[in-house]
Amino acid sequence: MTTSRRIAVLLGLAPALCVMSLLAAGLTQDDKPRVNADAALSVEFLKGVQAYVALHKKLEATLPPRPEHATPAEIEAHEQALARLIIQARSGAKQGDLLPQKVRAYLRRQIGGVLRGPDGAIIRQSIMEDNPGKVRLRCNARYPEGLPITTMPAPILGALPKLPDHVEYRFVGDRLVLLDIHSQLVMDYMTDALPL
Amino acid sequence: MLIPRRPPGLVLIVCAVAVACLAAAPPEISPALTGLQAPAPAQRALPLTLPNKDDALKFGVMGDFGTGKTEQYQLGDQMARVRSQFPFELMITVGDNIYGGSKPADFVKKFETPYKALLSAGVKFYASLGNHDSRQQSAYALFNMDGKTYYTFKAPKQDVRFFALESSYLDPTQLQWLERELQSSREDWKIPYFHHPLYSSGDRHGSDLPKRKALEPLFQKYGVTVVFAGHDHVYERVMPQQGITYFVVGSSGQLRKGNIDKGTGFTAYANATEQAFLAVEVSGDQMYFNAVSRSGKVIDAGVIERRKQ
Repeated sequence: MTTSRRIAVLLGLAPALCVMSLLAAGLTQDDKPRVNADAALSVEFLKGVQAYVALHKKLEATLPPRPEHATPAEIEAHEQALARLIIQARSGAKQGDLLPQKVRAYLRRQIGGVLRGPDGAIIRQSIMEDNPGKVRLRCNARYPEGLPITTMPAPILGALPKLPDHVEYRFVGDRLVLLDIHSQLVMDYMTDALPL
Repeated sequence: MLIPRRPPGLVLIVCAVAVACLAAAPPEISPALTGLQAPAPAQRALPLTLPNKDDALKFGVMGDFGTGKTEQYQLGDQMARVRSQFPFELMITVGDNIYGGSKPADFVKKFETPYKALLSAGVKFYASLGNHDSRQQSAYALFNMDGKTYYTFKAPKQDVRFFALESSYLDPTQLQWLERELQSSREDWKIPYFHHPLYSSGDRHGSDLPKRKALEPLFQKYGVTVVFAGHDHVYERVMPQQGITYFVVGSSGQLRKGNIDKGTGFTAYANATEQAFLAVEVSGDQMYFNAVSRSGKVIDAGVIERRKQ
């Protein structure tokens, strides 16, 4: 092939290459806003949780410290005193305060993505087998005494924003609960967290 | 769920030979009883088949026990009997330590009283948490968890390190911690224990496949030989899976009679007729075990050779 012919071929391919580049760029453009939006939602969500944790710590500091190796009576007394203070300080708390609508939608997407994945069926099975089901929950109230907790499979926890120490995600029925494990308080919860 | 059957391999052959040899030489008798009155055979020596060497690490394993019912107390008495012959110094728990709430009275009725003889004798309990346990149990002094829901500790004898996991919450932080700890552990024996079984023929729950996927590669990679779990209310020893022997010891209180799926194909031995716990002895590269029932029978026994990498 002569040099002029090579140039002609390259020139002929150029529009196709341009279109492909533009398409690729377009895909990236489509993905970017979602990623950024989700990251922003994660930050917004964790900001709320951190504010809760700060309140928890501030109130806990007003109590006599729980011994590192405690008796059951000391554990119970501390837990109940802390719960009372938090309930009082958050007396106006309502469902959705820590999990506003956009955050809920984001968390549903994250959970749904895992459950639609290749191990989705066994992950759902693992969540459901210890699931206490339809139990009444109230925001800023104690997690029901003696109620078992669900297992939180690693892929689900890997897909959700990382929570600070002493705050956990748990499923109760199809609700996702934010649980303060030191006060045993339901910080907030969202419904329809387990998409069909 | 069908899981392919694997050949039992050398470990089980060693088990059978060891049981046969050890059964011929019962250990010295020193019966002692505390707590509730045990049945008549209590005055006789238990037919343990453990070598009971002076320098061995001796420990117990129990799970799903905290009911406060008579059967739990009776097994507690058998534990004390076992200890009078086989002086184990620590007990690990595979969760569901206190059922139905964590009031101070629950700790007394479902833990401190049934195991009073062991606690008085200085046996240290190292708990892991089950799905019925309040996370606050981690602060309870007698569970020795130092406020942590997962932790590791070195055994007082032999080259053994235990890893107590919080299997209901395997978040990336815990998994990274586990890998770091397994990797840096220089002990010959690395023994993980936790609530949810990776392999189980219990009909109620069965094997937890997502947890198996998360944990088994780490156990493989870092030379684990034995894993203890509970959750299913049965006793089961699983045939070695890629060299690792899995035990289900969810049988120490809340028994689910007859709840065994015989079709899993991986059971080496299973029992769902009587409450039971495990007495274990580690000596060098061998781990000997006896599963002892509420009526004082040794329902399963053997020896496992340490997996070397």
